[in-house]
Amino acid sequence: MVFGKRSLITLAVLAVILGWVYYFLTVRGITYIWHWEQIPQLLFYHGTKTAAETTPSLHLGVLMIGFILTLKISAVAIIFAIVLGTIVGICRLSSEPITRALSITFVELIRNTPLLVQIYIIYFFVGSMLRLSAFTAGTAALAIFEGAYVGEIVRAGIQSIHKGQMEAARSLGMSYAKAMRHIILPQAFKRIIPPLAGQFISLIKDSSLVSVIALADLMFQGQQAVARTYSAFEIYFTVAALYLIMTSTLSMATQYIERRLAVSD
Amino acid sequence: MIRVKHLYKTFRTHNRKEVKALVDFSTHIKKGEVVVIIGPSGSGKSTFLRCLNRLEEVDSGEIIIDGQNILEKRVDINKVREELGMVFQHFNLFPHKTVLENVTLSQLIVRKRNKEKAVKIAQELLDKVGILEKENVYPSQLSGGQQQRVAIARALAMQPKIMMFDEATSALDPEMIGEVLEVMKTLAREGMTMLAVTHEMGFAREVSDRVIFMDGGQIVEEGTAEHFFKNPTHDRTKLFLSQIL
Repeated sequence: MVFGKRSLITLAVLAVILGWVYYFLTVRGITYIWHWEQIPQLLFYHGTKTAAETTPSLHLGVLMIGFILTLKISAVAIIFAIVLGTIVGICRLSSEPITRALSITFVELIRNTPLLVQIYIIYFFVGSMLRLSAFTAGTAALAIFEGAYVGEIVRAGIQSIHKGQMEAARSLGMSYAKAMRHIILPQAFKRIIPPLAGQFISLIKDSSLVSVIALADLMFQGQQAVARTYSAFEIYFTVAALYLIMTSTLSMATQYIERRLAVSD
Repeated sequence: MIRVKHLYKTFRTHNRKEVKALVDFSTHIKKGEVVVIIGPSGSGKSTFLRCLNRLEEVDSGEIIIDGQNILEKRVDINKVREELGMVFQHFNLFPHKTVLENVTLSQLIVRKRNKEKAVKIAQELLDKVGILEKENVYPSQLSGGQQQRVAIARALAMQPKIMMFDEATSALDPEMIGEVLEVMKTLAREGMTMLAVTHEMGFAREVSDRVIFMDGGQIVEEGTAEHFFKNPTHDRTKLFLSQIL
């Protein structure tokens, strides 16, 4: 037999799904008229932006403007998540019981509550006290949320380094901080690149949640465009593709870094 | 140079059993002396070395190095460790650094030497241990014997007053033990104060001033290597030597 039992089951499932979609689109009589021609102008358009502009030129469409904001939010949040995560990861392994307890509490509190709720709390409660902009509040919420996960990844990375490394560094007269910085963390980070990449891909996708505080990111711009044009399918497919571009670029970049760092293996 | 008084060290295993690693351990190591420590596994030999630079904290006792009790709270242990070179059984080279970087790093960030001087010292030492041609490779590309020689150079780069070898040849393939022992013997002949936990009795016979036989966290017998070969007095020593020789 050419196909195994398992692939036959897969094929059967696929056939059922496709049949259902066909039934839905034709027999049930949903007549969806695709308007893909609306998409290009949401990405780039040639024209005048303001009345003051006399000669038309090429401008970014709303989806691209949202794309760039999502990139900005994600980049800033990733940097702060790494800093926060490294601090949390090191504190988690501290010999000081209070430092350890604080970092465990932080991780558990942040990981066990929904990001959406945290965004609202930081924007409406903390944000209004400290007068934070939507960008600052949204990015901070993301950085804190992902920082808790990164903290656990960093901790696992540090623990995976053989204790002989720390002993060798300390026996050469290095302080704990110097040994961490020069010996343990570089090795740990090299090892945790794959889980970190996964976490940052999550971060990019989770950044779509900041659209709830009227931060005009890719998701927000997509929703607005849908409200204007009613072309929900086309726009959401495009939005998904734009997210895919960001996340797959990050995937490829980390694979490249991993190969580069493999020279000492 | 090092005076050790009444050291006690107890380990607690995960099932809360107590293992006495050092029991009222006292000794005195003179400047330039080469001391070999032998004994069955679990006799406290490695623990003694690791207590000297406080990789392990002792329960009680005194360790006086150059007139200073290093177990006192106000002592900067990093300063003490700069003077105590240590070579480990499993080398513990830094895998993300090249051979040269392994030997220069602590010179740069602990001794605060400038780059040129650190590199010059490192290259001299790598030449001395016969591995200068590998200065730009990573440790993973070296054999065990080569790695251990780099580890010795790394410890020497701090210009310590004392070198401690914790079973430095135990993890090596037999054909590589010789090259590491040669380096150790050269150091001993140059007058380095050395403490070596090893079962290489050839090394003990050739260069040691004193051999200490430990069991159960205590010194059972000590004397010259000659004494141990010709007429060990304790039955425990005789039994141990008959097993390793």
